[in-house]
Amino acid sequence: MSAAVSARGLVKRFGALTALRGIDLDVERGGALAVLGRNGAGKSTLLRVLSGLARPSAGEVSIEGLPQRGGAARRVLGFVGHATMLYAELTARENLVFTGRLLGVDDPGERADHLLEEDGLTEVAHRRVGGLSRGTCQRVAIARALVHDPQVVLLDEPFTGLDRRSADRLGARLGRLRTEGRTLVLVTHEIPQVPQLAESAVVLEAGRIVHSASAPDLDPRALEHWVLGEGERAS
Amino acid sequence: MSIVWAILRKDLVTEWRRRDRVAAMLVFSLLVVVVFHFALPNRATDQAPAGAPGLLWLAYVFAALLGLNRAFALELENDALSALALAPGDRGWVFLGKAASSFALIGVVQAVTAAAFALVFEIDLIAAAPRLAGVVALGTLGICSVGTLFSAMAIRTRFREVLLPILLLPALFPILAGAVRGTAAALAGTPIPFEAIQLLIVVDGIYLIVSFLGFEYVLDE
Repeated sequence: MSAAVSARGLVKRFGALTALRGIDLDVERGGALAVLGRNGAGKSTLLRVLSGLARPSAGEVSIEGLPQRGGAARRVLGFVGHATMLYAELTARENLVFTGRLLGVDDPGERADHLLEEDGLTEVAHRRVGGLSRGTCQRVAIARALVHDPQVVLLDEPFTGLDRRSADRLGARLGRLRTEGRTLVLVTHEIPQVPQLAESAVVLEAGRIVHSASAPDLDPRALEHWVLGEGERAS
Repeated sequence: MSIVWAILRKDLVTEWRRRDRVAAMLVFSLLVVVVFHFALPNRATDQAPAGAPGLLWLAYVFAALLGLNRAFALELENDALSALALAPGDRGWVFLGKAASSFALIGVVQAVTAAAFALVFEIDLIAAAPRLAGVVALGTLGICSVGTLFSAMAIRTRFREVLLPILLLPALFPILAGAVRGTAAALAGTPIPFEAIQLLIVVDGIYLIVSFLGFEYVLDE
């Protein structure tokens, strides 16, 4: 299987601060990778570099074999950020249609209706996003990221701020994305859920990958130790 | 081009629902016209003051600064700016969409301001309107081109309200030179000097190309 997401020697500096220090990773087509680490470890920066939102100071990223530099890879990429990336004044449907137009979808209205129905959002389709709950907004945000039917989806802490019911719904949605054969890269703090969400995981610390594991060796307790900086002692 | 239309349409719909950007520009520019009226009390009543074209453009520039400062504020809410940055292909199309929406909204404000200005300074706007509209459109195209680029540059900084005028005003000098000269001719009912039109077209072209190409890097983090 070829890599859907590939990064080589990624370095990202913000002035004197180095957020990423030589990251190499490959995610196979149809695979799911969880990116773990403490706050400030570089997880979100890694995702933003992979998405093309942030330009790496050094190194290369390719998505589905397309180089991230130049913008072609953005066509095959869906991104769910920490924020919803939705316009509060537009309705859920209008947000999806706008994104569809932005991404060159042939019939954005039909695609928006299909996604809203698939995600059980038809009832809120014509309500302005500004008046929706955080959980519903997050579901609309995921639908927004899928408008152009991307093969690779990057998600930055999608469970943050969700209640139990919304988190369960989101977990089920991510499961469906995996069965559809999409490649997922997911930043999360939900370590106990990692074996359900992904088949491999990397732990970042100070911009470096300090641990990586794949199923069936994806033990949440071991991952927790690595995230807390006790990994080497535990192993 | 679909990106340009999508952004233009989205910006106009959101502005129609919020009405904060146009309202702020309109109130401000009308207040500036009223201030000019009281600042120039001893002018002859049968003619516009000599500095009328410059005063009109001062009102336009101040209003445009307000509008351009808000152009990307909406995109910062919920990090929608990232959604724009993720649009495939050249990000210059995103620039054109944002510049087009600013052009449309500022254009509405300019039309109302010109009417108020004509009323206050007793100018025959109907006779001057076609030529004036042409000059104002060319001047505004330049303002919106470079203004959209600088607004996007300033939006992620802590001093964005201050940074935009500091960056933008010097870049507007050549536009104002051509626009004020052209406006003076339009208000006087004489042909617009070719040099003024030429200057506006050249500066507009340069600003459009530089902003289109530079926008790729402006949206990068």
